Amino acid sequence: MSTTPRVSSAIAGEPPHFGSVLAHQPEISASFFALYGRFWGSDVLPARLKEVARLRNARVTECGFCRNVRFDKAVTEGLGEDAVDDITDGYEASVRLTDAEKATLRFTDALIHDPEVLTADAKAALQRHLTPAQIAELGLGVTLFLALAKALITLGLEPEEMGRTVLPTPAVLEAAE
Amino acid sequence: MSGPVHAALAGDPVLAQHYAAFRKRAESALDARFVALIRQAIAAVHGMEAAAIDDAAIDEGTRTAIAYARRIPFEHTAITDAEATQVIAHLGEPGFVAFSVVAALADAECRAAMIDLPGLAGG
Repeated sequence: MSTTPRVSSAIAGEPPHFGSVLAHQPEISASFFALYGRFWGSDVLPARLKEVARLRNARVTECGFCRNVRFDKAVTEGLGEDAVDDITDGYEASVRLTDAEKATLRFTDALIHDPEVLTADAKAALQRHLTPAQIAELGLGVTLFLALAKALITLGLEPEEMGRTVLPTPAVLEAAE
Repeated sequence: MSGPVHAALAGDPVLAQHYAAFRKRAESALDARFVALIRQAIAAVHGMEAAAIDDAAIDEGTRTAIAYARRIPFEHTAITDAEATQVIAHLGEPGFVAFSVVAALADAECRAAMIDLPGLAGG
């Protein structure tokens, strides 16, 4: 896996990072950030559950950038590092993750890794803990997390070193609404 | 717009519209026939119904890019700088950025279809 950017920055004076590389395609960039802001700005599915899914995707896809970022809205909703530490293989046994979070993780694993993980029991658990609207939003989120992580990795935008970084949660872009 | 993610978002027209706009912008940045080949190649890797691509009928640059796209579903961390350089030589940097987004999104959409996301979200 390369930590050397494979594409230059399209923004003068800025190093290559996701935003500056995506700026080679301004319309894609604008529509992505409008979508991502709308997704995170929606409260249909709590940010804590979105973040649990995002961090699981980060670990499975080996996206170092995604793995080290924390969105502040989920932190505010009580997602601490002790629970994050349990988002590894064996999360079913965690006493710090809720049953809704475990159902979310099972769904995430099925989408990003192995559809067989979504057994009849796992589907039932998902539909017991989440409404259809929440499952739809989770499905969108995991789709975007997976695509974003793979794009970051294949564009060579993985950091060589990065500590845990709390970032403002993407917000609804008024101009895009 | 079709696809499992858009279908699952039927109950949230605003989010569905934003998703459709994003996918459309990404795909519009590339030739439509090339986008179809990318999606076809990735669907085939996932074992989904997809017609075989006749590699002999496409030019060398496209063939190189499609070979690269086939690695996205299960080998994304193994793609080398040299492989990426070859695709960039064919598409240019802006084209490679769009290609990276389209291929990654196509992979994720195949996976969403394989778990029947619309059915799960349909209640």
